[in-house]
Amino acid sequence: MEMNRPLTGCTLAGPFNNVANDFASIAASLRYQASMLGLNVISTDEYSNDLSLSFKFETSRTSLVSCDIARWSDASKSTCITENIIQAACGIMSVHGRVSGEPRPLGLQYVSTLTGALALQGCFAAALGRLRGMPVSGSNLSVSSAALLSVSQYLADATAAEMPDSVMFEKASRQTAPPFMSSDGVCFELETLDVEPWQKFWAQFGINSALSGKGWSAFLLRYARAISPLPVELVDALSNYTFQHISEVCARTGMSICQLRSVEERQQDEHFMHDWLQGPWSFEFNPNVRARTDIKKAENQLPLSGLTVIESCRRIQGPLAGHLLTLLGADVIRIEPPGGDPLRGMPPMADGCSARFDALNRLKTIREINIKSAAGRAEIKELVQSADVFLHNWAPDKAAQLGLDYSDFVDLNPALIYAYAAGWSTNGSAESATNTLPGTDFMTQAYSGVARKISQASGTRGGSLFTVLDVLGGVIAAQGITAALLKRHLDNASVKVTSSLLSAATLLCIDDFPDKNMLNSRIKSKSIINGVFDTKQGKLAIECPDLNTVSRLRNVLEIANDLNEIDFHQFLQLLLLTKTAEEWLLILERAGVPVAQVIEDLATIRNQAHLQQQLSPDCYTKVMSPWSFK
Amino acid sequence: MSVKVSIPTILRSITNNQKLVEVVGVNVLEAINQMDQQYPGIKEKLIAEDQPHRFINIYVNDSDIRFCDGLQTNLKDGDALTILPAVAGG
Repeated sequence: MEMNRPLTGCTLAGPFNNVANDFASIAASLRYQASMLGLNVISTDEYSNDLSLSFKFETSRTSLVSCDIARWSDASKSTCITENIIQAACGIMSVHGRVSGEPRPLGLQYVSTLTGALALQGCFAAALGRLRGMPVSGSNLSVSSAALLSVSQYLADATAAEMPDSVMFEKASRQTAPPFMSSDGVCFELETLDVEPWQKFWAQFGINSALSGKGWSAFLLRYARAISPLPVELVDALSNYTFQHISEVCARTGMSICQLRSVEERQQDEHFMHDWLQGPWSFEFNPNVRARTDIKKAENQLPLSGLTVIESCRRIQGPLAGHLLTLLGADVIRIEPPGGDPLRGMPPMADGCSARFDALNRLKTIREINIKSAAGRAEIKELVQSADVFLHNWAPDKAAQLGLDYSDFVDLNPALIYAYAAGWSTNGSAESATNTLPGTDFMTQAYSGVARKISQASGTRGGSLFTVLDVLGGVIAAQGITAALLKRHLDNASVKVTSSLLSAATLLCIDDFPDKNMLNSRIKSKSIINGVFDTKQGKLAIECPDLNTVSRLRNVLEIANDLNEIDFHQFLQLLLLTKTAEEWLLILERAGVPVAQVIEDLATIRNQAHLQQQLSPDCYTKVMSPWSFK
Repeated sequence: MSVKVSIPTILRSITNNQKLVEVVGVNVLEAINQMDQQYPGIKEKLIAEDQPHRFINIYVNDSDIRFCDGLQTNLKDGDALTILPAVAGG
């Protein structure tokens, strides 16, 4: 299968096979992503130091750019950043666990994947900055900064000056949040973005308006707060009917339904192998761009400064992609409908704007344009004419209907990067099974196998109400755009880049898919000890990836070596109850055991000294750029 | 019927920065019409063609009016009317 890969001819070199244990998943994801972008990935024989992963990136027109991934932004902290440790320390477990009543791990190599994507984006940006006249030699990133970025909207909610979101764990919601279960044991998600299908659907099951209304309020809470305390009557009603019957009611009422599938089922999809071999992006090149004599110079210390992005996006994935480009210095002009995006008013508010909205859009310039009008579309074309990137996340086919598709811009601005942050397929309508489904986070989790993976690992019925895919989708969209910009400067090509929530989901499952000799360093073994433990005060996450670490844990806690695994766990649980999480943290960190105090109330992140460098206290706690350039 | 309306921050520029507005009306539509007389422009931010905007939720006490009688939902003295932007989708 021939795939367009934008950075063919570029090289990435680093000790990817010789990294510390906690960097192995990052290295594996990074290698896969780099390969899918066309990079020649070279695993060098040197050994990485234990505290970081360093690699070098070279293009045909730039000398080596170096990239360092540190464990923590605070250099004085050296604790291992195994996946669960970082999820615990940076609030991901807290958000994911809200629906379960207690912090829980996602069970995915989530932060590792995000870190790999952001690190690659950082080095592409650095090379681009150099091509644009900036004296940059590389980029730095920490794993903790990637993790914090993923919870930035939730942190904004939790710390907003007005009406802070004090959502802790609502025990009552535990059994009643989606997904649902049918009488024949099928677990499934429902989705609608409009109230009418919801009303019609529940009426068919004898649910009265008052209960249906309460359910709608709870259903809407999923995206904003990662909880969904549905009335139990709704869940019970569906449990009396077969999946087939419920599907038929969905078809009649306009509700969308998607069964939670396994990763194995996903692999049987007609286009799966193409998606897997293509990677998270689909690229289309137009090489007939005249040699650029007008390369814009970088204007300040950020590599994308002086570049203009026009963004027409709603909700999370697309706006996050635009936000990341602003953090790299781009001027992002965000198109909103007349009167502004309604989500600007979504509580809690901070300085007159929704805190969670501001967290993704605070650095953008706003233009209110009615894209449904001819005048509005003409205004967009005028903006795009002198822009570098056009980014949208409209529904499939809408761009063509509006006359704002890639082909509509090629003559107008032959050097444009046209980016589409989609829901499902990155190849037009190839994924026919999903054509009629709304491309939202929770539907994609269900369809892709990610929800099932999460449920198996974290003991829940379904996926996560933390918007796992919106965030990763936003990151890979921005990464694809940065790679496309670099391609444009290297090869004088215009590029269309499409990424999607589904392609982000596929990226999260790389350990489950066929290894095409790219990922032989990936770690499949499970940690020996990996859990969240109660202490006298607070919870502690401990992860021992190997026998040496278990041995260190046994020694520092003076646990006899002859205890079997079950007795050891029970003893450990009892022992940890004798001191506070804070006290154990000091003891175990000193012994070199991967450990973190589990963030339970997200707002307390701002009090964590080792995370301060990434946070900016303001009318809400803002998460700063994950990158620094050197 | 006298009811108190909670104004979301985004609309407070219309209500002279008031968070709580007291109006009279037998149903939600009447209350909104009366509010629009006091604060012109607020009605068009909430409804169009006698339907609440898709992205606006209006509650009487704890009940979303779309699950009651919509804009015809009756009000009684002391009811609380709350306006909240809605978020759907990710």
